[in-house]
Amino acid sequence: MQWKTMLAASVALSTLIGLNAARAEESIAVIVKATTSEYWQWVFKGAEDAGKALGVKIDKLGTPKDDAAGQIAVLESAAGSKPTAVVISPTIFEALGDPIAAVTKSGIPVVIIDSGAKTDQYAAFLTTNNEAGGKAAAEAVAACIKERTGKVAGKVGYLTAMAGHESLDSRDKGFVEGMKAYPDIKLVGNRVANNEEAEGMNFTADMVTKDPDLVGLFADNAQMGTGAGASVNEQKLGAKLCLVAFDSDAGELEHLKDGSIYALVIQDPYMMGYGGVWYGYAAAHGVRLPKNVDTGVGTVTKANMNDPKLAGLLDVSKRKLGPFIGN
Amino acid sequence: MADQLILRPRSEHRFHASPGGRSMKALLQRLPIETYVVTFTVALWIALSLTAPNFLTENNITNLMRQTSIAAIVAIGVMCTIVIAGIDLSVGSVVAFCGVAFAQLCGHGLGLAAAAAITVLAGLAVGLINAVAIGRLGIPAFIVTLAGLQVYRGLALLLSGGMTVGGLPSNVKDFARGTAVLPNLFWTMLVVGLLFHYVLRYTRTGRYLYAMGSNAEAARRQGINTFRITLTAYVMSSGLAALGGLLLVSRLSIASPSMANAYELQAIAAAVVGGASLFGGRGTVLGAVVGAVLFTTMSNGAVLLSVDPFWEMVLEGLLIALVVYLDNLQKRRQSGN
Repeated sequence: MQWKTMLAASVALSTLIGLNAARAEESIAVIVKATTSEYWQWVFKGAEDAGKALGVKIDKLGTPKDDAAGQIAVLESAAGSKPTAVVISPTIFEALGDPIAAVTKSGIPVVIIDSGAKTDQYAAFLTTNNEAGGKAAAEAVAACIKERTGKVAGKVGYLTAMAGHESLDSRDKGFVEGMKAYPDIKLVGNRVANNEEAEGMNFTADMVTKDPDLVGLFADNAQMGTGAGASVNEQKLGAKLCLVAFDSDAGELEHLKDGSIYALVIQDPYMMGYGGVWYGYAAAHGVRLPKNVDTGVGTVTKANMNDPKLAGLLDVSKRKLGPFIGN
Repeated sequence: MADQLILRPRSEHRFHASPGGRSMKALLQRLPIETYVVTFTVALWIALSLTAPNFLTENNITNLMRQTSIAAIVAIGVMCTIVIAGIDLSVGSVVAFCGVAFAQLCGHGLGLAAAAAITVLAGLAVGLINAVAIGRLGIPAFIVTLAGLQVYRGLALLLSGGMTVGGLPSNVKDFARGTAVLPNLFWTMLVVGLLFHYVLRYTRTGRYLYAMGSNAEAARRQGINTFRITLTAYVMSSGLAALGGLLLVSRLSIASPSMANAYELQAIAAAVVGGASLFGGRGTVLGAVVGAVLFTTMSNGAVLLSVDPFWEMVLEGLLIALVVYLDNLQKRRQSGN
């Protein structure tokens, strides 16, 4: 009795497996840094739209929060299921280098998006030039200070969302370098938060308490931008403090509209996901690709936020396939 | 009957005439458990007033009040579970889950009061689930609430689709921004604090929490319904986390699934630094609140004095260890060794 059931079950199972193999469709694994952040949801959306266009199944993977060891495990198990290609945004530059090289060696093309990894064994690297983004933020801060006071001078600080992240470090580096071009600007402080809005809010209030004459502040991601914007709004400092933040989420947009944030430096996560999948698919089918692609950054202020060209960047739900943004 | 038999909270040692009169040792024995955290906080405030020119300004004190309130409210709740020798690791995720739920309900056209009421009910339900899993199914509190930490963060993400939820009516943020002499957030904390202080110290249920935390088996044998007490503690904790979620959304004027990251650890740290014992039976509302104030002050002071952000983390960690060590010495004195 029992062995008959077992036999029937195994026959059914092998039929299923056979069917699946016959129908084997192409799939691309998209591995992001943190599934809990809005930015990566837009990357997923771009990837899915590309998947639909190409007729490829998209596996949306990643760890809930930045976690290099967890991401390596996700990468290894994704590679184990032999996808057509892997698209990944490495959490930590050093840590993901060798695992990515190993996947490339196993014959699966890897497209890196957003942040780099310590390897040259990849098919293509699509990224915002984060350092250029930081510089763009510095220029926006300077422009704002000049607009309000007539000269570029005074104290400026910046908020880092998390310690030890390549893309954030590059933004900060670009910002600090960019500010050095203005000799009368004095960099007075940097705070590192736990990537949490309320903490960004508290730090902003405390930095203004320490330096009541602070004229500029850079928040290097959406969480920090939302928190800093809320603090500027609470203390009604919008006309005094030039706040520039990276990315755009609902909170940042609200504060751009109410004047608490002067400018947003925006990236193009949708096209990063879209392009990543497209490049991965092309690489798997033997297309030679440019190794490094700059997906561009743009600066949005209250003055140009209604420009239809920027609509899909500010509110990514409106973004469709289009050229990478250039500055 | 059981009332007369149960242990009194040890924090009330100060009310007993101590044998040995005025000797130093006797004085130390009578110190309330919040002594160390209050001393540290006052010392830190004095030091900062002297070294940081902008510390003792009206603006900064108002900021400190706003910054402390939500953390303190969450800490009071977690302290209630610590008192019964339990723990609640889920509060940070419950803050985020309830915050996102509240924002979504407002966004779907529900009135503020209705949205807030549903959110708080959801928070109370979380406490009920935790208590059933711990008290009826016998799963350790650490595991139950660790699972909750994952589950409710996941639900927050599902409810929000991983996105920041904005577009809330402006009167949502008006509450946290508003002041009536003191910031509204601070008033909320005071009301919650006084209410919980009263419940823990002056009601039978409050006493039972301490009795159960001191010795659950003895409490049960004296006829205390330990499940009911477990339920009370976890509902208090999740309910306050839900309130924290509402307040945080009001403060940020958005809800984000990533908010309130690691609040459970801050809350436990505040409660323990404030004299609560992870072995149960010990902890006060005043201690948890002052513990929260101490951590907010450290973070504030670090910015004002330009302390390196990485050193700030090290110092905070060392402070937890030091205060708890001193507090343990005190406990040993009290138990007469």
